[in-house]
Amino acid sequence: MPTKEEVLEKLKNGVIQYDEDACKEGANEAIAIGMDGNEAIFEGLVAGMEEVGRLFEAQEYFVPEILMCADALYAGLDILKPHCKQMDLGVKGAVVIGTVEGDVHDIGKNLVKMMFDVAGFTVYDLGRDVPLDQFVEEQLRTDSELVCLSAMMTTSMIGMPKVIEKIKARNPNVMIMIGGAPTSKELADKWGADGYAEDASNALKEAIKMVSFLKNLRAEKEAEKKG
Amino acid sequence: MNSKERVIRLFKKEPIDRVPCFSGMGNVTEEGINRLGYKFAGIHLNAKQMADTAASTSKLFGYECAVVPVDLCLEAEAMGCVINVYPHAEGILYPTIKEKLIHNEEEMEISIAVDVAKRGRIPLVKEAIGLLKADIGNDTAIGTYVLGPFTLAGQVMELNDLLKLSFKKPAKVAALLDKLADVIIATAKELESAGPDYITVREMGATSDVLSPRVFKSLILPPLQKIIKEIKIPTVLHICGKTNDIVPFMMEANPTAISVEQKNDVAETRKKLGPDALIFGNFDPYNVLVAGSEELVRETMRKCIDNGVSAVWPGCDIWPTVPPVNFNAMMDEIKKYGGKK
Repeated sequence: MPTKEEVLEKLKNGVIQYDEDACKEGANEAIAIGMDGNEAIFEGLVAGMEEVGRLFEAQEYFVPEILMCADALYAGLDILKPHCKQMDLGVKGAVVIGTVEGDVHDIGKNLVKMMFDVAGFTVYDLGRDVPLDQFVEEQLRTDSELVCLSAMMTTSMIGMPKVIEKIKARNPNVMIMIGGAPTSKELADKWGADGYAEDASNALKEAIKMVSFLKNLRAEKEAEKKG
Repeated sequence: MNSKERVIRLFKKEPIDRVPCFSGMGNVTEEGINRLGYKFAGIHLNAKQMADTAASTSKLFGYECAVVPVDLCLEAEAMGCVINVYPHAEGILYPTIKEKLIHNEEEMEISIAVDVAKRGRIPLVKEAIGLLKADIGNDTAIGTYVLGPFTLAGQVMELNDLLKLSFKKPAKVAALLDKLADVIIATAKELESAGPDYITVREMGATSDVLSPRVFKSLILPPLQKIIKEIKIPTVLHICGKTNDIVPFMMEANPTAISVEQKNDVAETRKKLGPDALIFGNFDPYNVLVAGSEELVRETMRKCIDNGVSAVWPGCDIWPTVPPVNFNAMMDEIKKYGGKK
């Protein structure tokens, strides 16, 4: 039987080295030795993704590598998910996510989605080239707290303020995040969005920041329990 | 010196009175479309409407070019992809690819129809170039564009798969890009035969935001070189996003000029490439020209010129809702300031 440390190391390196098989193996070992699924996810897979973020910022990794790392993360995540206890982090919920009509790019959107999957959100992924009204309808249908709108091109970003307006008109408490190469803090403010991520690379950085936050929160809770 | 002479002399590196202000990418405006009584979704499908709309930007604002097509789906459509022009959209939505050609790795070995350049809307755009020449071609430079091979590959197959395979199986991607280069060459030659003054190769997808400079050099540069070698008229190679690390490779593709956007530090690029290189750029067409104040527009134009651009040129398509006051400010500032350097 491998030790807990060995399993976490395998999961972490599996993500960094985009090795899906290693992540699957590590995930199965984690279950076999009776580890908590959340611990394996946050201390193993997410720790690996944090390092990937550093490699990306150092321009050692580019988007192809990140996509492969994300595949490796999901390979482990899919196995671990059914073995996760409900986390009590004060953060839970549902999110509607999609790329707006007129845009068929979804890489940034998928990286952000990964963050929500890791964090245990219920994700309603509408895909890409999504008619604006569908975001509004899906939010109402699912009563999600969060709606994420993505656009890669200036030419498609323009639909965003209309969706924000419609959703906020029906339910002002819904948080709205926008993302994509042409978006900016100024536009997010102007359109009444609650947050933004500039592009796939920034989406990744933001995603990692958020899961790191959750990871730390989880560690604190664990420490509290023990203390 | 009229605007056409100015642009043509620029491409020949002959003396000009001031920096020109033009583009090799889409620059139709809502103002122009509305005055003509057209609908945005319709101009992609009708040569006369396309030409009229393209000409309207120079007629209304004195912009120093007219460019067709307006969308980015020409080559993919000719290869058999289905496009969506969003006929019922309220606002402006650019056409996108609805149906990909390649769905998995096995389907990457495609064969290209011999008459690919006669398919889809390529004949329509060719006709539009002819109409533009007849309408304003004596005074205004007429431009057209094709996609770069990697950008086209991202349209005919899943971008996600393409990016991963460019890392895992570069030889397979290289073979596809080489075939797509043939499609692009055929398209460029067909459009060239209608007599445009310059052609832009838009390789938006191969930016350093996405791909490493190393992969750019090994995978993207060879097909770009192949394409540009076959085009007889002046060429502009455009790449979006971060490009400072790859501008030397862009030059190795041997275009007449390179085009970079606002994420490029143009002063540094100028230093790197020397005084003779033609560098077009690099203002943010949305956040400055559409959403910015008139003062920001003027300031940005001066900054582009101070940083050493050879022509003031947008980082991407000009978004159609550009306020006329900003467009006029841009042209006015360049007339005032563009001869000072």
